[in-house]
Amino acid sequence: MSEIFRLEDVTFTHPGTTRKVLNKMNLTIEGGSRDAVLGMNGAGKTTLFYTLTGVYKPQEGTVYNHGEPVDYTRAGLQNLRSDVAVILQNPDEQIFCSLVEEDVAFGPLNLGLDRDEVERRVSKALRDVRMTPYARRPLQQLSGGQRKRVAIAGALAMNPKIMIMDEPTAGLDPQASMEVMELAEKLHLQGVTVLISTHDIDIIYKWADTSSILYNGKIEYSGPAEGFYSDPETVYRCGLLTPSIFNMNRDICAIDGMDVDPYPRNCCEFTAKFGNPKESGRLVCVAAEEETAAERYEEVMKDLKGVQTGVYGSDVRYALTDNGIDFRFDAMDMCFTDAVRGKDSVLFYDSIYTPTIKEQADKLRKIGFDVDLEVI
Amino acid sequence: MATLLEADNITFSYDKKGPKVMDGMSMKIEEGKKTAIMGCNGAGKSTLFSLLNALRKPDSGKVLFRDKPLTYRHKDIIKMRSEVSILFQNPNDMMFKPYVEQDVAFGPENMKLPKEEIEERVQESLFAVGMEEYRKTPIMKLSYGQRKRVTLAGVLAMRPSVIIMDEPTAGLDPQMAYEVMEIAEQMHSSGVTVIMASHDTDLTYSWADELRVLYGGKCMYAGEPEPFYSDFESVQKAGLLLPTVFMMNRTLADLGKGSLEPYPRAQSQMALKTAQHKDVDLGVLHVIKAERDTDIKAIIDDYQLGGMPTGVYGMSARMALRATSTDVDFLYNGPENCTMKCLNGQDSVLICDPLMFDKAVTSAMFINEHGFGKINIDVV
Ligand SMILES: Nc1ncnc2c1ncn2[C@@H]1O[C@H](COP(=O)(O)OP(=O)(O)OP(=O)(O)O)[C@@H](O)[C@H]1O
Ligand SMILES: [Mg+2]
Repeated sequence: MSEIFRLEDVTFTHPGTTRKVLNKMNLTIEGGSRDAVLGMNGAGKTTLFYTLTGVYKPQEGTVYNHGEPVDYTRAGLQNLRSDVAVILQNPDEQIFCSLVEEDVAFGPLNLGLDRDEVERRVSKALRDVRMTPYARRPLQQLSGGQRKRVAIAGALAMNPKIMIMDEPTAGLDPQASMEVMELAEKLHLQGVTVLISTHDIDIIYKWADTSSILYNGKIEYSGPAEGFYSDPETVYRCGLLTPSIFNMNRDICAIDGMDVDPYPRNCCEFTAKFGNPKESGRLVCVAAEEETAAERYEEVMKDLKGVQTGVYGSDVRYALTDNGIDFRFDAMDMCFTDAVRGKDSVLFYDSIYTPTIKEQADKLRKIGFDVDLEVI
Repeated sequence: MATLLEADNITFSYDKKGPKVMDGMSMKIEEGKKTAIMGCNGAGKSTLFSLLNALRKPDSGKVLFRDKPLTYRHKDIIKMRSEVSILFQNPNDMMFKPYVEQDVAFGPENMKLPKEEIEERVQESLFAVGMEEYRKTPIMKLSYGQRKRVTLAGVLAMRPSVIIMDEPTAGLDPQMAYEVMEIAEQMHSSGVTVIMASHDTDLTYSWADELRVLYGGKCMYAGEPEPFYSDFESVQKAGLLLPTVFMMNRTLADLGKGSLEPYPRAQSQMALKTAQHKDVDLGVLHVIKAERDTDIKAIIDDYQLGGMPTGVYGMSARMALRATSTDVDFLYNGPENCTMKCLNGQDSVLICDPLMFDKAVTSAMFINEHGFGKINIDVV
């Protein structure tokens, strides 16, 4: 693991105001972990992001990028920003051009890439957020959530090394929110450092390894989410809430005298822990690429006629849109949950997610449930 | 129940050549109910709202308010808008004036109300959203969440009979989200019909009486939430997902742990339905019904309720609280926070607007009625 960003006693006050939004803040962001930043409205999440990307220069303290203090000269900043993409909370602040495809191309063109490469990236990014049919539409004609999707496509098209997402799921419909989390997981597996700030504590609890809590200009807590949520007074003071699944686990364990650890974070883990499951259903996970997915589907389903199917990952989802897939979204949890309740299923997934699938099976084993899993 | 608002076979497109955003949309909204409108991005929720509120006119079909088709005459529209009020998705779309108090007064002034009445409404609305101190502040200087509250105050000041909220909690932190939901519940308790579009599946599931799902320019489902969520193919087609507790409850029922019904809709209900031991001592939920002038401190002392985790819920309770020096632990999400304390064996106190009593004890009642546990509710 390497250190990507480090803040050392950083203090920042917006010009013309007196409140120290960041007040001697210390924080390290390591590559390779799934990072969440939480805090109430006005806690300074957005200010923190602008400080990391050199847009704001702290009055005191130092920001390090890869161990070096940030260089605030033009060249230095350009260098830093070519690595970092930011998805802003409000998509309207991030609109550069009037047509959807031009807007997504804006960043990559600025990187000086050639036309073909830009076109390739733009069409892939629009596909990943399911906005291809809107490519030639003016942005003013899109709904709130559609605009958000375009902003996400714009950041994806930059192929950044660091992806900062400020409220990426706000305003998105439930399926699109799941897709964004899937994309975040993909970036993470590709080695991109992903930093997400959100108010949707239930969604982020499923995903993040490390949660950093902002309060009063400082980092109140940084570590696995449970360490923070186990202290309700602090959670409340910070203006936050505990995820509902965390609460349910705590309450049931208190009543039934069970150990709160291992903490279930999604439906399959919760039902495995509390449902006294018997025999696992058979879960066949099929790794595929966009080009091979259709072929793999034919091949695998020949022997598994009638078994429920799911897709995980934008490439496979796109390739199998017409195949009558049963679970098109949130399919990883749906299929594992079905295994818990003894039903068979087949999950087609973008091959990059193999570690995620293994991790899910390991977590269930820790809870005491062995999934009948076959990864092919 | 009477139908209050109705869309009757509406078609609408933003431009002649463009796609039909509404394509045979028919929907009834019943008076006094809490109705959730769901649908994927671009399904037409915001567009539907602008049609129901006469901001736009359908290409064909009718909008009816109290069974009468809208006339779109200026005078009628003004009257209709004073009864049907919208909280827009983006607060910046509905700020009309530079200062907070002017903005809140804007609607009542348009209704040509007497000065004193306007003043009273402005004061009360700003209190309800917790923005009294900001009366004279320029709107420019407010944060996103604060703007959202001011626009909500503007809506309250109209004293509408229907309030339409377009994603009222998006972008708000959990605390503010609960404050907004509490205000919506308060309005509902006083007889207002509340319509809400939201992408938060879990929130709408625990909140709504009625669900309307938009798809392909039509209303694809109208009714209670459970039948819709039981048909997974339709859920998926509409761009939606299952509520977490719905999915958990179904899976546990399949595993033979409990029956499918009754459906838990909130986390505390789900937790108690799942727990094995139904005979454990849970805490007592002391509920103080507080009018504006109730002396809360005296009650707490008389009944020796000091030192317990304490929450507050509803407008009159908040007003009564302001007059005392009582410490409150839960300033938001009071009912669920207090109930959770009881689940963990602790007694708690909820200071509650009498109008909101039923809502405050929903989860505790669910648990008691179905024998999932016993929370003693002590009404003071
Ligand atoms: N001003 C406009 N001009 C042209 N088309 C528009 C305009 N506003 C919205 N649309 C289109 O109308 C359709 C419905 O949009 P609407 O804003 O009603 O959706 P929504 O359900 O509110 O979506 P969201 O969940 O993203 O807020 C979308 O396809 C959108 O692109
Ligand atoms: Mg909308």
